Amino acid sequence: MPVKEFKLPDVGEGVAEGELVSWLVAPGDRVEEDQPVAEVETDKALVEVPSSYDGTVEELFVEEGEMVPVGDVIISFRVDEGDGTSDEAAADPESAAEESGDAEPAATDDAEPDPAAADTADAEPETATGRTFAPPSARRLARELGVDLAAVDGSGPGGRVSEADVRAHAAGDAGGAGDSGSDEAPAPTPTEVGSGGRKSAVKKRGEDGSAESSAGPAPGAPEPAGRDATLATPATRKLARDLDVDVDDVPTDETRDGEAFVTGEHVQAYADALGSAAAAESAPEPEPVEADSADGADDGPAAAGEAAGATAPDAGDETVPYRGVRRTIGEQMERSKFTAPHVTHHDTAEVDALVEARAELKPTAEAEGVTLTYMPFVMKAIVAGLKQHPYLNSELREDDEEIVLKKEYNLGIAVATDAGLMVPVVDDVDEKGLFELAAEVRDLATRARERKLKPAEMNGGTFTVTNFGAIGGEFATPIINYPETAILGLGAIEDRPVVRERDGESEVVPAPTLPLSLSIDHRVVDGAVAARFANTVMEHLENPLLLLNE
Amino acid sequence: MVVGDIATGTEVLVIGGGPGGYVAAIRAAQEGLDATLVERDAYGGACLNRGCIPSKALITGSGLAHEAGNAEFMGVHADPAVDMGKMVEWKDGVVDRLTSGVEKLCKANGVNLIEGTASFVDEHTARVAHGGEGQGSESIEFEHAIIATGSRPIQIPGFDFAEDHVWSSAEALDADTVPDRLGIVGGGYIGMELATTYAKLGAEVTVVEMLDDILQPYEDDVKRIVRKRAEELGVEFGFGEGASEWSEAPDGGYLLHTETEEGEESTYGVDKILVAVGRQPVTDGLDPEQAGIETDDRGFVDTDDRTRTAVEHIHAVGDVAGDPMLAHAASKEGIVAAEVIAGEPAAMDQQAIPAAVFTDPEIGTVGLTEEAAEAEGFDPVVGEMPFNASGRALTTGHTEGFVRIVADDETGFVLGGQIVGPEASELVAEVALAIEMGATLEDVAATVHTHPTLAEAVMEAAENARGQAIHTLNR
Repeated sequence: MPVKEFKLPDVGEGVAEGELVSWLVAPGDRVEEDQPVAEVETDKALVEVPSSYDGTVEELFVEEGEMVPVGDVIISFRVDEGDGTSDEAAADPESAAEESGDAEPAATDDAEPDPAAADTADAEPETATGRTFAPPSARRLARELGVDLAAVDGSGPGGRVSEADVRAHAAGDAGGAGDSGSDEAPAPTPTEVGSGGRKSAVKKRGEDGSAESSAGPAPGAPEPAGRDATLATPATRKLARDLDVDVDDVPTDETRDGEAFVTGEHVQAYADALGSAAAAESAPEPEPVEADSADGADDGPAAAGEAAGATAPDAGDETVPYRGVRRTIGEQMERSKFTAPHVTHHDTAEVDALVEARAELKPTAEAEGVTLTYMPFVMKAIVAGLKQHPYLNSELREDDEEIVLKKEYNLGIAVATDAGLMVPVVDDVDEKGLFELAAEVRDLATRARERKLKPAEMNGGTFTVTNFGAIGGEFATPIINYPETAILGLGAIEDRPVVRERDGESEVVPAPTLPLSLSIDHRVVDGAVAARFANTVMEHLENPLLLLNE
Repeated sequence: MVVGDIATGTEVLVIGGGPGGYVAAIRAAQEGLDATLVERDAYGGACLNRGCIPSKALITGSGLAHEAGNAEFMGVHADPAVDMGKMVEWKDGVVDRLTSGVEKLCKANGVNLIEGTASFVDEHTARVAHGGEGQGSESIEFEHAIIATGSRPIQIPGFDFAEDHVWSSAEALDADTVPDRLGIVGGGYIGMELATTYAKLGAEVTVVEMLDDILQPYEDDVKRIVRKRAEELGVEFGFGEGASEWSEAPDGGYLLHTETEEGEESTYGVDKILVAVGRQPVTDGLDPEQAGIETDDRGFVDTDDRTRTAVEHIHAVGDVAGDPMLAHAASKEGIVAAEVIAGEPAAMDQQAIPAAVFTDPEIGTVGLTEEAAEAEGFDPVVGEMPFNASGRALTTGHTEGFVRIVADDETGFVLGGQIVGPEASELVAEVALAIEMGATLEDVAATVHTHPTLAEAVMEAAENARGQAIHTLNR
């Protein structure tokens, strides 16, 4: 029965990696096709990864809590085979004996084992199924070295796998098999930097020393090879241009027709080495802090790795991994805040009429099984504002030097969950009724808290609402859900003192008010537009009958 | 044991000397194995004797005559006369030269050649009957065998190839005169190649086809160009019609009767009827079940990616092992079979097998179409270069068709190509190389191509897919 490796599939749009939260199976367990084997938390959701095979779990390659890039092998299965005839024949010594029993040259058969049969018995490397972007020579080498081509990281354009990649993978497998459990952070050695990372592991032929010249004690800049002529594919040459590297300077141990042959990997490694050499010149290389990694070892390999080079946590501190949803939120916030100059406009709407309208509609909604909150009213009021001030419903595309004014009104609703902030999107708010919106928001929020949103349900927003007032507070400075242009924060609706005129005299009276905090991307809109937008929204909240027009 | 039966032994027994078998035998011998090739008819198989090569000879001959007689537009006036007997004689010369070349190559590589019909006796023994009855036979003990028995044209009820006026493709490639009226049953690639050939030789050609178009596996815009050109050459089509029978006509010719699914009948006056409805595997007389090998319900032998049958030490290659029934696929399988037997890490791991149809204009395809790429989960990007924008195409007077290249939008990897037009069969080789090498659109576009050539169109199509074409409007 062949062993099949299974890679972390693409679990959602644009998701590059995920944290393997928990294994649902253990080695030796029977699994059926489509049975969930692991839970993976990606940037956007918690997803179950189903098995592609019927069979038995052979090995788990990833520990719980580890971050796994999409495409990495996470588990292997011993797979059932439909007919299994060929394997039985090879595995069963009796049938092999029968085959040769009657034939006269049986002796030679036994003396010289059939190489084909030997192949099968001894885990014959599978031919890569599906499309592999590797030349025939690399595919054949992969079979020869028993390498699963699909597991090889290609260094060529688009991830094309070269013979060198296959060799490097094979060497990596051999070297890494024993120390997979080691917690030590691998300390980068000058040799690896100088000769191009893992490529150095596979140097075999034509070593001219030029690539090794930087293997001395000081990590200097790699020596330019300075050839007169170099063979490289057009794509490799372009990469070299992009990285500002002269292909004639790139060290290589490969030749074609007697000429030095440079691959994209060589170019990348050389450029990386140049970069790190430059960095080394300007700053002293941080020394791996051995003692710290040892201290942190209890927290697992990742924590130990992160601790190296950083200040070690005090003994009593607790370290929490910065990963998955938390890290995605962090990256998204960082990008928004450092990209879009925020300005936040505050105002307060007096919402007596809104409170009445909602109270009046609530029983009707309940009769329809809908819990009516203020959110649908606010959403409708926002749409009214966006229609009058389309720049708040836009996206700045810097690369294209254009601002896209969105014609759809898809409102993201920020939802606080145990895992962190989630922003499901209600599409086409302008086309939906209050009850419909109420039901949809409730459904999305519930599923967000249960981590059951699909990634698609969190995409496509054009404007976001955050109702921090549900927890408490009046004003805030919300961060825009980049690349949107604006976000509206809602405080709590409470009775607050307002000044009103009665019988020609001003007096302070309690009235229900809704504090609003509108953050905008000042690159796209100015404060005046923000204020006008806020006025339109407030007008619709203070006179909810106007919403009938929406 | 039969009288006159001599037992010999071999490491690799190859049964069938076509492009799968002879290639396997030569490679096995090159690998240092003792190889024996059994052929019952003619070295080179259907490809050299009754298929690829003879048809291309006649296609070239008829094409030359037609071109010469239709070049007034470039100031050439001629009215060529075709001596069909002489053309077939020339074709036979080409075939002889190639088949004797195969025989010599086998011998020079140390392959033992045996003429006769092989049958399995058990898993390690075959009997070879030499020629006819009483010619004697021999038993061959083998360690490994490669079945390469090929295929033959399918015969349909009511149309017996034994009749003089009912042709298979073999007879159509061996006729000493051109029939006045030729009815062709089947609009696949064999039917269409021969329809074009005979139309250019002056026959009135009618193609009846059960489906609603010619060349079933190809895309509509590819089919349309070939069908239009055939119609210009005077080929008539009866689509949706199945051939039911033939009868004698009062004029000394014959009537080809057809019937639609709805029962609508038509008749066509013809002098010869070519039946080209496909090919079926040849395993009769082979007794594969004696070696423990089953054939499927269509007679094919099932194999794995190393060309092994269910009985590990017996391989099957070429048409008998099923689709694609193409000579170059057979040769690749033959090489893999021999290398696997020799213990090499060979396998059928190609990304694509190109195919060519030698109609006018030609079709060359390889890899995925846009639709197939989508179905495989790629986000395909497509580039095209019409030949009417190619300088070289204009100077050949053949501007129908286009080069289309299909790639993965994200990575740029070339996934497929569809070419219809002049020399499409040659041009497709570049796209095939790109696919196998894992080349990107950029690689193809940035490779300098000779000007003025048709091959530039491949580069242009790649540029077009990248939105950077110079000679076409980028889409």
